[in-house]
Order: sequence, then C-alpha cells, then structure tokens
Amino acid sequence: MSFIEILSQAFTLPFMWRAAALLAGLTLAAGLIGVFVNLRGLEFLSDGLTHAVFPGVAAGFMVAGTGGVLWGAILAAAAATVFLTLLSHRKVTSDAAIAIMLTAMFSIGVIIVSKSHNVASSLEQLLFGHLFTVTTTEVIITLIVCAIAFALVLATLRGQVFAAFDARGAQASGYRPLGLSLVLNIAIACVVVAASIAVGNLLVLAVIIVPGAISRMWTRGLGGLFVGAIIFAVVAATIGLLASFTVSVGANVAIPGGASIAIVFVLGYLLSLAVRAIVPDRSQQLAKRGEQ
Amino acid sequence: MTSQRLLNLDDVSFAYEGDAALTHVNMHIDPGQAVAIIGPNGAGKSTMLKGVLGVIPLVAGEMTVFRPKKGRGQSGRIGYLPQDDDIDSEFPITLRQVVMMGRYRRLGWFRFPGADDKQAVADALQVTGLTSRANVRFGTLSGGQQQRGLLARALATKPSLLLLDEPFNALDQPNRDALIDTLNDLKRRGVGILLTTHDLELAREVCDSILLVNGTQVAFGSLDEVLTLENLQEAFQGVQVEVDEHQVVIPGHSH
Repeated sequence: MSFIEILSQAFTLPFMWRAAALLAGLTLAAGLIGVFVNLRGLEFLSDGLTHAVFPGVAAGFMVAGTGGVLWGAILAAAAATVFLTLLSHRKVTSDAAIAIMLTAMFSIGVIIVSKSHNVASSLEQLLFGHLFTVTTTEVIITLIVCAIAFALVLATLRGQVFAAFDARGAQASGYRPLGLSLVLNIAIACVVVAASIAVGNLLVLAVIIVPGAISRMWTRGLGGLFVGAIIFAVVAATIGLLASFTVSVGANVAIPGGASIAIVFVLGYLLSLAVRAIVPDRSQQLAKRGEQ
Repeated sequence: MTSQRLLNLDDVSFAYEGDAALTHVNMHIDPGQAVAIIGPNGAGKSTMLKGVLGVIPLVAGEMTVFRPKKGRGQSGRIGYLPQDDDIDSEFPITLRQVVMMGRYRRLGWFRFPGADDKQAVADALQVTGLTSRANVRFGTLSGGQQQRGLLARALATKPSLLLLDEPFNALDQPNRDALIDTLNDLKRRGVGILLTTHDLELAREVCDSILLVNGTQVAFGSLDEVLTLENLQEAFQGVQVEVDEHQVVIPGHSH
C-alpha cells in the first residue's frame, strides 16, 4: 500500500475520528493557553500540575475503576491549582512552592499505587497516553474540559494580557492579580488533564509549551501571537497523528500517537529556531529604521 | 469642598507586609492641581502612588478618591505610569496595543474597541510624539520611547487623576520639555496630577504643591512653604541635592 492509500483509509476508521476530535479540542485550548504559559513563564508550574494529576489518577481508579481515572485527574488538578496559586501569591517563591507540591503529590501517588496492582495498566495509559483507544465518553469529557479552559482564558483575555505584560499596571487599573492567576492556572490544569489522555502525562509539556514559544519567535503583536500558536498546534498535531497512523499501518511498526505528536511539536520548535537564526527579524529592522 | 476633591488623605498610612511603608500622610489634590512627591530613595514615594492605586494596603487613616459616576470603579479614571523596570520588555506587543490597554477597563471584558477608543489611543500617541512608532514592537523602542509609550497608555485612559512614577527619568531635554507642556495642558483641562521626582526644578515647573516625605510625611503645601531648609534637613539628612542648579549638601540635624 502506498502512503496515499494508507492516508485515505485513515478517516474511515472510527478510532481515528475519536483521536482527531480529541486533538482538535486539545490543540485549540493548548494554543491559546500555551501563549500565556510562555508570556508569564509558567512552564515549571505546568510541570508541577502534570505531577499533581498523578495521585488523582491512582485514587480515581481505586475508588471507581477505569471510569474514575479522568475524574480523579480533574479533581487533583483543580485542588493543586488552587493550592499552587495561593502559595505563589504568598511570600514563598513560586518555584519552591511548586517543587514542594510536586514531590508531595507524587509521593502520595506512589503510596496509592503501591496498594493496588490493577492501577498499573491504567496508570501507564495516563503516563503515556492512549490516543487510539479513547472511548467516546472520554472524548466528550475531554472536549468539555478543553472548552472550559478555552472559555476561561477567552473571557478574561484583556486582564490576562495586561497582567502578563505589566502586573502592577494591571492591578493599578483595577484587575485582581490573584483572580486572574487562578483562572489561568485552572485553564492550564484543564489542558494538562486533556493532554494527559491524548499524549500522556509525561509528554503534556510539549503540547502546552511549544506552540506559544514558536509563535513568540515570529510575531511582533498580540493578534499573530494567538493565531500563530493555535495554527501551529493544530497542524503539528495533525501531522503527528497521521505520521503515527501511516507508520503503524504501512511499516507495521506500532508508534504511540502521543509520542509521535510530541516529537512533531519538538521538531517544529527546532526547525523554527533554525529558520529564525537564518531569517532576519523584521520587527528589529523596522524599529531601527524608525530611529534614524 | 472635600466632595470636589480628586484625592483626599487624612492621616493615612500605607504598608505592605513589612515593606517600605509611608505613614501619617495628610494631603489633597483638587482638579487642575499637580503635586510632586519629593524625598530621598526609599522614602516611600512609589509607595504613596501604589497606596493611592490600592496596590499597597491602607493600614490607617482615611482616603477618599474621586469616583466616576458610572460605577465602573474608581480605577477606571486613574491613569498610572509605572517605573520602566516593572515591565516585561520582551513582550510581543505593538506600541499601539500597549496604549490600548489604557482603554481596557472602559471596554470591559468583551466589547471590541470602538471609534472613541481608537481616537483616544491616536490622541495619546500624538501628544507623546509617538504616532510614527505605533506599529513597532514595544520592546524594540528606546528607553525614553517606552517611557512615553506608557505615559500614552495612562493618557488614553482619559484620566481625572494621573499618577506618574518618575516620569522624567530616561527622557532627554526635548522630551522633558514636551512632557512639561503636556502636563500643564492636562492641568488646564482639570486633570489632577500626582508625580514622584528627584528633580526639584522640574517639580517647580509643573507642580503647585509638594509632598515631602521620608518614611513619614515631613511637609505638605505650596513650594515656598515646603522647601525650607528645616524641612529639607528633616527629609534629606546628609544627602546631596540639586537646588536651582547648585549642588547643596544638606547637613544632618543639629538637635
């Protein structure tokens, strides 16, 4: 079979549609929210949240079996978000707060896991993702979670932009920094949970961090920043999904969808870095020309 | 006449978890008046501005800030120029978008900028001489241009009260003169101004009153009332200051 034939087959299969639907929701949300992760330097916080989800997954499974995994993840992420946000607005430095949180939650997760053997397979699914075996229910819940994340950030967009640019100025003009951080961090947590299903807990960061970082390399203003990040996320996820399918079917080498997508994101970043190094920055030139 | 005042402070103290505090401030600003906050480094000049903005909590006394009628919160009509170093200069945003931030509170969360918002931004860019730079990325502007850009943002708010933290820093002579003209023009239109500065000469050219501070209020009143040797001694003990282009070292207290 040629690649074209394999590709034309791809979307005759229901599991590919489920994967595509999940990725569509995830990439729209991750593109938008990733921009703020980049602008506010929240990469480590995002990492902390991925770890915090772990005990939620284990506990959810213990309480309600496979169906409890997603809810456990959501609850753990929500609790961790509130805790981290409050802590980071105290005098404790953000990084210390996150590091403490990260270890505490992970050790709780390990203790829970040690009490059960059945948790292992479900845990593996969450750590490495199960893009091709998601159920319709999981897709629907994930899309809702992504929609919530997208809506939260869109609804507070002006405040988020102002606070990211100039926190004091934002506060001075009447925005509440704690409220804005909380909303943003909840949205990040939602994306972390959704991405855990698709690409796995350990690969979440690629999806959240790369689109914003790439878009920032190429844009001079706000409009392009958001559009660029979302377009990159959608395109890279599509390429990753189809590459994984094509290789798995054509070469008969099973490639996990999540890992394939994460690799495409990272390759996209490297490519962007390389091209940026060669192509001169127009915004710098514009600025220089104006000064003369 | 307190009801018409833009700002009235009655024995107010600001403090934030043990950080630089400012105590026992009694001062007021009427429409069309400008007040300079003068004092040595760490005297609480910026604290005063942030206290008025509500960023640093008021721990004692009573403060009344002019409130606009429409109930959009007092802050909708206060323009604030922060010090440059609070800003992320790597931020991918154009100057025009930064100035539009001054309209955000009026726009609320969802409304798109209308003709009056765009006009306010264009006016603010015009006044600060930055019209030709509007579509340049903010971070690539020079220090002085960034400062004027943030001033434009404050002006785009169409404020009744303007709070400026070291507005003359990073400005060359033509820009200083332009800023002085702008501020005097705003005063004529009834805007109240509260600014911090190290430069008594500039304060003299713009301001009607001076608030002299050194952790606590030393004096408040007209320039002649406040700028006495005794007051300056109390505020600047042993600090070198510039008065009418002469370098003067203020001796410490004799008692």
